[in-house]
Amino acid sequence: MSLLQEERNIILNNEYVDNFDFAEVEEFVKNASKNLFISHNFKTKNKMLVQPRGGFPTYNKMFALYEFFVDADVDVLPCTIDSNTRLNDYATAKKMLRLSEENEVDMLNGFPLINHGYRTARKMMTHFDRPISLRHGTPDARLLIETAIASGIFEIEGGPITYLLPYSKNFPLDKAFLYWKYVERVCANYSKLNEPINRESFGPLTATLVPPCITIVIQLLEMLLSLEEGVKSFSVSFSQTGSMNQDIVMGAVIRKMAKYYSNQIGVDDADIHLVYHQWMGAFPMDPNFASQLINMSTVIATMVGADKIITKTNQEAAGIPTKEANAETVANTQYTLRILKGLPNIVDKEEEENLTAEVMAIMEAVFNDSADTLWRKVFNSIKNGTIDVPFSPHIINNNEMITIRDAKKNIRIIKRGKVPIPDRCFEYEKAQCDLTKDTTSIVNDIIHDIGIMQ
Amino acid sequence: MKVVTGVVGNDIHVVANRLIDLSLQARGFEVFNLGVNTYLEEFVDAVIETNADILLISSLNGEAEGWCREVKILKSKYGNLLDDVVFMIGGNLVVGSGTADDIVPRFKNYGFDLVFHQVDLNTGLDALEEFMKERNT
Repeated sequence: MSLLQEERNIILNNEYVDNFDFAEVEEFVKNASKNLFISHNFKTKNKMLVQPRGGFPTYNKMFALYEFFVDADVDVLPCTIDSNTRLNDYATAKKMLRLSEENEVDMLNGFPLINHGYRTARKMMTHFDRPISLRHGTPDARLLIETAIASGIFEIEGGPITYLLPYSKNFPLDKAFLYWKYVERVCANYSKLNEPINRESFGPLTATLVPPCITIVIQLLEMLLSLEEGVKSFSVSFSQTGSMNQDIVMGAVIRKMAKYYSNQIGVDDADIHLVYHQWMGAFPMDPNFASQLINMSTVIATMVGADKIITKTNQEAAGIPTKEANAETVANTQYTLRILKGLPNIVDKEEEENLTAEVMAIMEAVFNDSADTLWRKVFNSIKNGTIDVPFSPHIINNNEMITIRDAKKNIRIIKRGKVPIPDRCFEYEKAQCDLTKDTTSIVNDIIHDIGIMQ
Repeated sequence: MKVVTGVVGNDIHVVANRLIDLSLQARGFEVFNLGVNTYLEEFVDAVIETNADILLISSLNGEAEGWCREVKILKSKYGNLLDDVVFMIGGNLVVGSGTADDIVPRFKNYGFDLVFHQVDLNTGLDALEEFMKERNT
């Protein structure tokens, strides 16, 4: 028995998991409908795929949510996992699920997949014959991913960096790398049986003034860590920055760099896709303004040439949106996409060249770390501040980098910390900003710049 | 002057915490930032360790209400070690809605010298500077 299989046996031997039948799951994946695979949809559907967010605790409510989405012409169904499961607290999730089932109140903020079990979940996940995307935020997602694939979920979001730095204060980063390595290998192995399982990184990070070079570097590194383990379908992603021009530049650079670096490690047979998140920052309270912002996101996604868009609702500022609001935003986004044809092609050579130079300099510094494997190089680079995510709550993050918006709303780096931004690029970034102000005024600008609504 | 700051409880909202850190530094304070997800005992330990003049707790998701009731009890355990330390708290201090008229006296009773519920950052820090100036004259 291989080491991986031994580890799988240990992980799946858990009191909250019903008896796991590997042979049966393999048979299921082998014969599963191709429509369930987002990798297949990317190839065959000649349009940008639309995917909302959403997850409810009980089977019935989740099923009703999916019915609403299908009526609204959704391309990809979401399965958002509850926060207890994300922290591997299956006991609490079980209790809260029972309370939700017995009283007509939702006691969980997502679907507790492990407690439902794959035999039950599979009935729902295969019923609609559409791809389902697993959204969670779990540093140790090994059991969750096994259960998801056994249930018919063949699109797995997350990664060791993007599901840790924005969501956790002190979960050990080295452990996260090793747990995600397991996830990649399981996904790669199942990918050989039918269409590939798609892995997707989470580009928005903290969704607060993250400069494009940091987002892109982290996307590329999670992609490389995944491809290294044999994954053949991967999505890089980012969220609306607040500047249309910067989004378009970012889309062009991330595509180009993803191809370049996957070739660098000798992988040329993997499909790389681009996912765009509608505005992830603070939303305006006025639902009409929120709708405008969402609509603008769709226009930008089209200009970026995204393969998939992840939607927001106009109820975002008020809390967790209803299934009706979620379905409405899917229908509206589909409508906008249908009428957006023949948009002009925008290219900003100067910005592209600057961003590419920043990304390549940081990547080079990561590769030059003396550690023996890529994950250890990345781990060291986060630890020593070569990679620095603004507003990350995690203790390992360096937190020296400072960013503000320039007059055109582009996010600019005004303090680079230990991130090896080349001098020429750093001067260019700073030249776009008014830096004659005192620190207090700059802090006030940052408070203002976190939003783009004012 | 030395300030220990951080977000209380299991709150992971870090944006305001960073801005408080930056603003305090811009105003010339020496800042020890414990970050998000910090327990009351950790704050007090840090104050003693750094010999800080001010403890500035922030809270965004309302957890302050649950965590900060015990400030007085905790203070009493340290004898007169904390007598000269200014305790300040700001942010969204309660779960659900409440008015400052109601919340400020409540938190003062918990053991805080300065309480700011849903108040602009600069207003709060101006008040802190004013308070320190008056105290030291």
